[in-house]
Amino acid sequence: MKQLFRGFVVSLSALILTFCSTSPDATTSLVVRIRWASDPDNLDPLVVSNSSASEVANLTYCSLLKASEADNDFVPWLAEAMPIVQWADDSLLLVSYRLRPEATWDNGSPVLARDVAFTLKVMNCPGLPTEMDQAMFGFIRDIRLDPTDARRFTLVCVGQSPDHVRSSGDFSILPEYVLDPEGQLRSIALPALRQTSRPVPAVVVAFARRYQALELNKHPERLPGCGPYRISDWQKGRYLTLARKTRWWADTLSSPPPVLQAFPDQLTYQIIPDAATATLALRRGEIDLYSLMPAAEFVRLQQSAADQQRLRFSATDSYEFLAASFDVRKSILRDALTRRALSQLFDVAALVQATQQGAAVPSVGLISPRVKAYYHDSLPLLRFDPTTAVSLLQQAGWQRRGAGPWTRPNAQGQPEQLRLDLSYRTGEPAYETAARQFSAAARAVGVAVNLRPTEQSVLSRQLRAGATDMSIRTFSGNPFSYDFTPLLHSRGIGASNNTGFSLPASDELIDRIATTDDPARKARLLRQFQLLLHQERPFTVLYFLRYRLAAAARLRVPVTGLKPGYEAARIRVEVPQL
Amino acid sequence: MPVLLRHTAQALVAVWLTLSALFLLSRSVTDPAAFIQSTLSANTRLDARIDQAALTQQLLRRYGLSAPLFYTSWQPAAGWRWHGTGNQYHQWLGQLLAGNLGISYRQGAPVRGLLGEALRYTLPLTLLATTGSVGLAIGMATSLGYRPRARRLVLLALHGIQSFPLFLVAVGLLLLLANPDTLAWFPAFGLGLEPESGNWGQRAGELLYHLALPVLSLVIVSLPGLVIQLDGAIQQEMTRAYVATARAKGASRRRTMRGHVLRNALLPTIALLTDLLPNLVAGSVVVEVLFALPGMGRLLAEAAATQDYPLLLGAVGLVAVVRLVAQWLTDVAYQLTDPRIRL
Repeated sequence: MKQLFRGFVVSLSALILTFCSTSPDATTSLVVRIRWASDPDNLDPLVVSNSSASEVANLTYCSLLKASEADNDFVPWLAEAMPIVQWADDSLLLVSYRLRPEATWDNGSPVLARDVAFTLKVMNCPGLPTEMDQAMFGFIRDIRLDPTDARRFTLVCVGQSPDHVRSSGDFSILPEYVLDPEGQLRSIALPALRQTSRPVPAVVVAFARRYQALELNKHPERLPGCGPYRISDWQKGRYLTLARKTRWWADTLSSPPPVLQAFPDQLTYQIIPDAATATLALRRGEIDLYSLMPAAEFVRLQQSAADQQRLRFSATDSYEFLAASFDVRKSILRDALTRRALSQLFDVAALVQATQQGAAVPSVGLISPRVKAYYHDSLPLLRFDPTTAVSLLQQAGWQRRGAGPWTRPNAQGQPEQLRLDLSYRTGEPAYETAARQFSAAARAVGVAVNLRPTEQSVLSRQLRAGATDMSIRTFSGNPFSYDFTPLLHSRGIGASNNTGFSLPASDELIDRIATTDDPARKARLLRQFQLLLHQERPFTVLYFLRYRLAAAARLRVPVTGLKPGYEAARIRVEVPQL
Repeated sequence: MPVLLRHTAQALVAVWLTLSALFLLSRSVTDPAAFIQSTLSANTRLDARIDQAALTQQLLRRYGLSAPLFYTSWQPAAGWRWHGTGNQYHQWLGQLLAGNLGISYRQGAPVRGLLGEALRYTLPLTLLATTGSVGLAIGMATSLGYRPRARRLVLLALHGIQSFPLFLVAVGLLLLLANPDTLAWFPAFGLGLEPESGNWGQRAGELLYHLALPVLSLVIVSLPGLVIQLDGAIQQEMTRAYVATARAKGASRRRTMRGHVLRNALLPTIALLTDLLPNLVAGSVVVEVLFALPGMGRLLAEAAATQDYPLLLGAVGLVAVVRLVAQWLTDVAYQLTDPRIRL
């Protein structure tokens, strides 16, 4: 046994000597290694279901338009210009595009309007996993190709929302020459595919079978897009490598816009679920970029002299916010005064310090303070004030005898106590800290809070069933769309409006905001909406998160407030000044 | 042979009951609509305007979650209701008997293939950890048998180590041996930055190098239990008369230990081995997440977190089979160690 043990030690030493001196050398090449917390899982372009898969789709395919944070709007990508919009009648929208003449597929053939028509047909093809696409793009009812120009077409859309115009260009265009080289789907009209009552034509059934036989979920390389990168290697759960196409069509443009820039020769995404491991890998140079870094890790690295030398740090305000929601259907939370009183018990400044190392942005409402045009800066920020909370509770009719609980009569005249169930997703320190802080402050003024750390699916069920009084969650937004229908409209009750909040005035405001494209009018309406929410408090925004990113010092990384927090295609290597 | 067949049949019934209970519990306790909702909320492409209720219904149909769960159901108003064979359990059992574990909701790929891929990483990890733990445990316990002073110290240390959770041990090793501030001897994660290349030997060396810290973590946490148990059995055996006889006949300490004591002392320890393999598979959840290894443990954890029922059931079923195999191996090992044992 001694020999066995010695053998083990000797082998281990030999291995150490052999490998411990090897370290990745990536000082000069345009290879960028990026950390992902999770695998894309499924890279079928019809089933892009998480942020990793979405990132890959944006690098390998092009859509007609692309969201640009710098422009606070969508900008042309595969389209030559923003579409021309016509209102056909009260319910139809005609959105006309022309594709860039330079755009080509990998085989050199041009990207044409018939590819767009083909993509829409695939997205409505029975037998394929198209539910998501149909939910998102079902408003596109038909496509009309221009007989005189193979690159021009018009999308026939239902609805009048300006957001429909942007969404009409926000799907990846698929190559017809790969999936349907004989153009068999050309004879099938898009509306015919959408009619579920009719029998499915044999040609469509055969196409669906061919599509599924490609197994794009694990072999996405079989469907090359017209984006700047192709998938060169994918080891599920380990890494995914994208190689820059040597001859990409946008390279022929003399001065390509930012959406058509792609600098790195290779992007390798390393999947490292654990944050501490990812930090070590970054510090060892095994990865070059770590985005959405936890605040504590970020600050620790920033304070380390060695890491200041080898890393570059960025932080940017995001559109994601932490909020406490109230279920306004609950008798104890039915009035705005009680909700405002409870909101006063959140100490946002302390919370930001405890959970985000001081780096988060308090806000008066659900518009990010960085969107200055729409943010209602005249409203006061939430202030931790238990005295005001007590006063507001009294105004709401609550009474307290000595150190007993707060009580008031409910709608039936029966006395009810102010006791709250507060749910949040377990395992997330920010939620837990906010909940504990609120619970302590509430207890100090005589409000009992029952904390319920809950698994995500159970929490989701609680919220839908109205089985909790309060919840602490994060919500995501963006600077392009301001449609609050699912979150706060009466039409959203039973689906995503978990607060149960709705008022005729708020419903009307939400509808008007969603159908307005004029910036000045939209700003006015959004300010009214923020004021209304500030008074009614169906939920209280605690703070907007900052996205933190650390990267190798040699890289210049364009950061963004939208996930994943960086623009991978526009990462450049800093050339040393001579 | 009939005994073996009986044991196998019993184990298969146990696996079926376990899987059925897991299937029914996981689907009845959790809300399928909530699973769809969490899937939708994780989807960054979906915007605000979609009709989530209709989409949820469509996706429930796609995943086969819109059918009744079992042959019967109880409704307070209508009482017991018979649903026939068009239920989720019947469909799942039929597929299982045909060797089809279903399609993963998350990855859209057959569960069997996903488990196979994950085992490529987990098998080397757990087999190395098992071999290392057992080998070191036997080596340490036999070496300590005649060294009372060292034995006391080592047992004290092992009792201390036994109190450390696996996560702490793994993080400690990572921060000690893969940290640029201390010793950066081993890689911090994964199985290499690039695709495997080189000949068989180089690839094996690369694999061993990358698995060193994960294996060491598993060995460190499983070693104390084995050594303490085996040492106790050895100490008990050493008081027996046959040991004194062997020594009186001139057998060396080593020969007595190896040839006589160990063989008898191993019997109670073999029972521990039944649990060792499943425990190591369970322990690989922590190690694989921490060291970014795409094995069974991580697959299981991610399937549980995302309510990927087919994958979850497949992975748990595999763990149950591993336990079955471990029990069978234990039975064989008992007979090899002591031919007098009849099961």
